[in-house]
Amino acid sequence: MLLSEQDQVLSYNGEVLVFQLSKPKHAEEAEDKAMNLYVKRMAFNRDTKLFDQKSSGVFSMGASHSKIEIICCSCTTDSRTGIILPCILMKKRKRNSVKYFLLLLHSSNQFEPSFFFKLDYELKEDIRLFAGPSLLWRHANKLFYISSNTRVVQSAPVHLSSVVWTGEIVGEGTVVLGIRTAFLPETEGSDGFSVSDRAIWGSEFFGYTIQSQKFLTGTCFMPHAYSRVVSSVYVCRSERLRKQLRISLVAITHKNQLIWFQNGTPKGVCELPYEKPRLVKPALTSSSDLLFAVSFASGNSCVIQRRDSLQVASKWQKVKCVLVDDFIGSGSEQLLLLFKDDSNADILSTFKITDLGEVNYSSDINYKYDVPAAEGLQENGLFTVRALETRLQAGWTSVRELQQHLRLQKRVILESCRALRDLVEGRTHILPNSKEVKCKRWARSLLNSAKPFVEGAAINHLPLLLEGLVSLWDDVENPPDSLSKETSSASEVPEHFTEELWQRVVGDSLVVGVKLTESFCLSLSDVSLSLVMDQDFSSVSPIIKCQSKIIKLNKAFSALAVSSSQIEPPPKKMKLDLDRKNDLQKEFLKSSSRIQLDGAKTVTAVTSLSPLLAFHRVCCVVLLHARKQNNQNDSLQQSKKITVLCGKILLSLEDISNGRYSIKMLRDNSYCIGSMEDILAVLAVSVRFSFQIVSCDCTLTPVSSWLMGEMECTPFKECQDNIFCHKAGNVHGTIFNWTLKNPFEGVLTIFCRNLTVLFQCLHSLTRVLPPSCSVKLLRSGSRGVLTEHLALALEKEMLTLKNSLFLKETKAENSLTWRNESGKKINNAPLASLLDTEEGVQQFRKKLQNEREESVRSMNQTMNGALYQKIALKIAEAQLSSDMIVWRLAKS
Amino acid sequence: MKRRRGPGPEPEPEAEPEPDRGPERGCLRTWAAHSRALVERWTTARCGGEARRQLRDEFRELLLSIRGLPAAVPALPLELTVLYNSLLFTVGASDSAVKGEAKGIRQGLLRVLEACGACGEDLGMEELWEKVLQEVTVEELQAPLHRLGALQAAWWLAASRLGSVAGLLQLLSTAEDLGRAHCSEGQNKLLAMIKAWQVPPEEVSLPLVQSAKDLKEILCTAAAFLQGLQELEAGNFPAALSLLQEAAGGFCSKNILAQIYTCLGCCAQRMGKPQTALQHLKRALQVDFQCLPALSHVAAVYHKLGETDAELQALTLLYEALGKNPPAAASSSPYFLMRTEVLVHTPLLTSLLRHHHPSEVKYLLAQRCLQDGRVADAVEHYLDFLSLLQEGLQQQVPLDGSSALPRIPEVFLEAASALEQAGRHQDAITVCEEVISRTTDLIPRVLRVEERLEQTESSLPEPELVGGFLSQKKESMCCLAWRTAGYLQQGWAWAKLGESKEAVTQFSRCLNDLLRVQLHGSGVKQTENLQPEVEVLQKIRLLSLIGRGTQFLELGRNKEALLDFQHSLQISPGDPAAASYLVQVLWKMNRKEEAAAQWLKFSQSSPGEDGQQPGQGRPLPLYLVSCLEQAVFPHSESLARSIQDFLGAAAQDTPS
Repeated sequence: MLLSEQDQVLSYNGEVLVFQLSKPKHAEEAEDKAMNLYVKRMAFNRDTKLFDQKSSGVFSMGASHSKIEIICCSCTTDSRTGIILPCILMKKRKRNSVKYFLLLLHSSNQFEPSFFFKLDYELKEDIRLFAGPSLLWRHANKLFYISSNTRVVQSAPVHLSSVVWTGEIVGEGTVVLGIRTAFLPETEGSDGFSVSDRAIWGSEFFGYTIQSQKFLTGTCFMPHAYSRVVSSVYVCRSERLRKQLRISLVAITHKNQLIWFQNGTPKGVCELPYEKPRLVKPALTSSSDLLFAVSFASGNSCVIQRRDSLQVASKWQKVKCVLVDDFIGSGSEQLLLLFKDDSNADILSTFKITDLGEVNYSSDINYKYDVPAAEGLQENGLFTVRALETRLQAGWTSVRELQQHLRLQKRVILESCRALRDLVEGRTHILPNSKEVKCKRWARSLLNSAKPFVEGAAINHLPLLLEGLVSLWDDVENPPDSLSKETSSASEVPEHFTEELWQRVVGDSLVVGVKLTESFCLSLSDVSLSLVMDQDFSSVSPIIKCQSKIIKLNKAFSALAVSSSQIEPPPKKMKLDLDRKNDLQKEFLKSSSRIQLDGAKTVTAVTSLSPLLAFHRVCCVVLLHARKQNNQNDSLQQSKKITVLCGKILLSLEDISNGRYSIKMLRDNSYCIGSMEDILAVLAVSVRFSFQIVSCDCTLTPVSSWLMGEMECTPFKECQDNIFCHKAGNVHGTIFNWTLKNPFEGVLTIFCRNLTVLFQCLHSLTRVLPPSCSVKLLRSGSRGVLTEHLALALEKEMLTLKNSLFLKETKAENSLTWRNESGKKINNAPLASLLDTEEGVQQFRKKLQNEREESVRSMNQTMNGALYQKIALKIAEAQLSSDMIVWRLAKS
Repeated sequence: MKRRRGPGPEPEPEAEPEPDRGPERGCLRTWAAHSRALVERWTTARCGGEARRQLRDEFRELLLSIRGLPAAVPALPLELTVLYNSLLFTVGASDSAVKGEAKGIRQGLLRVLEACGACGEDLGMEELWEKVLQEVTVEELQAPLHRLGALQAAWWLAASRLGSVAGLLQLLSTAEDLGRAHCSEGQNKLLAMIKAWQVPPEEVSLPLVQSAKDLKEILCTAAAFLQGLQELEAGNFPAALSLLQEAAGGFCSKNILAQIYTCLGCCAQRMGKPQTALQHLKRALQVDFQCLPALSHVAAVYHKLGETDAELQALTLLYEALGKNPPAAASSSPYFLMRTEVLVHTPLLTSLLRHHHPSEVKYLLAQRCLQDGRVADAVEHYLDFLSLLQEGLQQQVPLDGSSALPRIPEVFLEAASALEQAGRHQDAITVCEEVISRTTDLIPRVLRVEERLEQTESSLPEPELVGGFLSQKKESMCCLAWRTAGYLQQGWAWAKLGESKEAVTQFSRCLNDLLRVQLHGSGVKQTENLQPEVEVLQKIRLLSLIGRGTQFLELGRNKEALLDFQHSLQISPGDPAAASYLVQVLWKMNRKEEAAAQWLKFSQSSPGEDGQQPGQGRPLPLYLVSCLEQAVFPHSESLARSIQDFLGAAAQDTPS
């Protein structure tokens, strides 16, 4: 407590002690008069709301006053009795040395000289009184101390730059917390966050125990980083838990912060309202709040409250000093603020006692808020409640501790039971990892989804790719021995059905492709390729196991190239709901027909290359199998199985070594250049997955920027919908197709070599997608398309049923198709609008009734067996197809 | 952390603590862990509201502790990252526009300079960035500084400081980037620069609450949108269109996309491409149906196109939508902290996206129906509107200047006009009575228009006072116009009911009130400011004179009728209705020569004047239109025939 004036104040047991050196009346008297040290004990009177003097004492020193000064005073433990007493450090200047002496003040107002020592320099820095009474100070970056027991000045073997705290630590006695420049072991200096604080900030804390003269690590107080900024510390609590020091403290820094540390880590920060904080003191007030009073060099003070977080609760200016004690005798602590007052000499003339709660006394009469007369009684009640509250809290804490203990006990018992059981049964029980199981299941379902659908995907308007992993050759109904017969039948088929035959080598696979002409495609279904070895190797089956796929690429360029802004579109009438339905249907028809008409299809066969290479040179016949239909509406039964000889391919190791059939994908500016065959070959060997990406909140531009940016994709010049990934590494060669339905929904199709690549892509994608996005695997076309298909299939099924029932023996095939058409017309258009109104429903009901009656009438007719068989087959077929779609829908 | 031991044997007593013992928990590591934990909490929960504010506070506190220590280069990447996250949370938790200078960024830059041993306290933000980016060459600091730069760009963008943004991007980009930006000529420079800026890769050890890549995309959209709006305001429509289209292709929320489409629609409309405008507006509604301003723009476009059916449909839909969902305040996206919404705020956008009040829409419906002659619908809408008014004026009518509503008395008069046209004469009279009774106290006894004005202008030097005087005068004239129009309509209504005496009374009241205005001078060189009001008053006078004249005719008081018609011709020489009535009266009074002479004079001069009148005349207030129609002379053909017969006969009589 360094005050500029000679008066010193100290709080002790709820009283304020004022120490004063006797002042000379006149200047000339100063030389020869003996100096006296006076002490006044002041206590707060709650009635007058003023400080009254209780008693006083005096200590006479025989020297002229100019040479005697009070250095500081504090309350410390007297080691002889263990009683805390006020003590005062005095300085007496001699000619070439300075004598310091310490006085203890007893309750009888008697001063007792404790010890003295002489120095040839003046104490200036970090002077602290502590238990003993003892004294320490810093001089020339060294630490010195003396105690009443030893009465000899000792020094600690340390170079330090400052002392931030001195006090008792459990089990260590008096500890000095200091700061010194860090000296670093050679090993430090690695990268990242492992760089130690000392290496960064260049100084460190150290603890030094006076009694045992050893060092404590500074990190149990605070991280070393703070050694650069901390100016004062108050240790609130220290305890030993399993031999480890646990310390809670509060520190103030040059950066104008107050920081609360627990076990060496910062737990809370608060910015201080003024510059240059000097000292921090805690106060435990009645509302069991912990307050920290911080005083600043400028004479300002503030109080920080610790509730949920640290907050500045109040601040004052022109404060001489802040004392903490129970001045009003309420059982908890208050702050006593002594203000600077120029006019009045008495130190206790302007003051304020507060706990930032109910207690608030001020010397300024204007401020005073008198407590009502019945205060005593009320206050007593308040104290009782408070005491009860404290007891309740203590009780609660102990109950909680007990509960915790019980829980621990239970767990230990459980654990030991388990161990015992395992021991008896002689096994180690491992719980299955549920996460792993899930993962596996998902991967399997992904694999399943890659399985083929030939028909359904044909109307999938998204990426126009038809997959057909058609079964092996020998699985087909036709036995292989019919080969000769089939090749003969191949001659029937006109030449121009196939446009081109090509082969490519992709990795370990051989891809053989046959491009079909458009007109031919239309009349075919169930198309597949097979490869048959031309040479005769007696030991090997001539049929090569391969997978067939039908791939169709959209050559169309994106329509976005034409800027729509330049031309004003023709005016369009607003469509009413009724029209829209027809419109939709038209559109749907259009889109489905586009698929049928647009571009040529290519059938590919993929087979493993290495087995073939064993023959060194091998020649294969490429056969195309399909069902040819005469009429669009013909069912399976009417279609004819055909086999077309497409040509021969020659495969030699030499060619492959020369890279004749290898694919070339070149990056040219913003495009990827590769021949159509190359692209088809890559698509044929890839596994295809479609994902529907829906964002509920924001646009999906991150996907395309991910494709173009992170994945380094470029679109194919030939078919710009598909883009090729140039990113080095595993994902290189993956082909994507990103189709936006609207700014918030799109389908991403990934053609990848294997599942690992897929997972890599997805992992990378999920990081760039907005968090509100949902990504769904489309197993077999999008749900919307499938639903439409289902509707159509069900309709067809119903019509088939209906038509066959009306069918008379005499009726020919063409009538069936006619009915089909007309029935469609009736059923589609007005249904929805009919159901809107009551009459509509009535009308509809009537119509249904009629139809039912008609069908009942027709039921009674007889039918010949062959016709019945035909009908039954047809119905079964229709049902089969709708069942297929239902199955797919259920899976998606 | 240090001791993880099972319930095995008692741990051997640890060695006494030594000053330099093993690795310790440094501050840097603690902070990094804390920062990671906070980011993790955010990415897993993506919370909003209170939890988000709590996270913001925790980030702030972490930053506070980091700043509690002297700046050091090894700690700066973490500090700058925490600053970045904290600033994003400041934006994300406040749910309002980014405003003001980001003090945090400034402090961060000063800390960087502090660590490098420089200072820049007195520099402005732009210079500070320049200094930091040019002088700080520490490799580890580049990525965090660049990310912070993106945030700064966002802040400046929100303040429409595009120049500062461009300058910063210039500093952030390498020469190579800038070269790429220049390659694509013709494009917007700022956009090209944002696009060319290379996002520093995200580091695993320093996770972000929103990636810099996201930020870049948002900056792109916001910059395009903002500049598009600026061009739109400046009238450079093609430039605005291309910028807005660029914005529409960018990364943004549904909300913003709908707004961009709305702006595109407005832009196309101003370019004179209504169909394109309609398409854009339709897209806006498809994206977000809550974007109701788009619907009101649709109505406006149809209005321009003259497609009244479509316009009325759009307005009806708008009214319904407004009634169902009171436009909620833009809800914060739960997933993003920085969004385009908080960056783009211009007065133009606010005015384009002004939400119409239901009462305004109702009025528009009524007015459009009345203008289009759909009287029955108009009556319904007007009555709805009036009942809306009764529910409470303040809640129902927006009182800002941009409202589509005219003054309330005019709405009343229009309603009366609609009722009148629908044949509900009594109702029309009642509504007019309301207007008349409300304006009684608002009209001065005498209103001198011209001379006084000139006097005041010369005597009072302060223009404000003159202005105030003028506006007060104007207000009085408006009140007078409403009141007299009320009488006028009542007169016509009574006339329709066959109560000629009552009608004459009303017309006379109207004319009496009109006498309070004293027009000095010829009446042609009026003060510009009061011209429209004077014109309206003259029209009312004309119509009521004609009206009273016709009623006198009905009552057989031909002389008085003649006087009225003559008066009306004085007010508006060559008015066809007045002239025809005058001829008729003269005819009736058997002053056939005079009638014929008048008729000839009128029929000769009329074509020229007919051509003149619509050109000079301002559009008449809607509430006077019906009166004008009623004042049209009904039997012009028969009168013309009889006069021609008479003239023919006269010609025969007088041999030439």
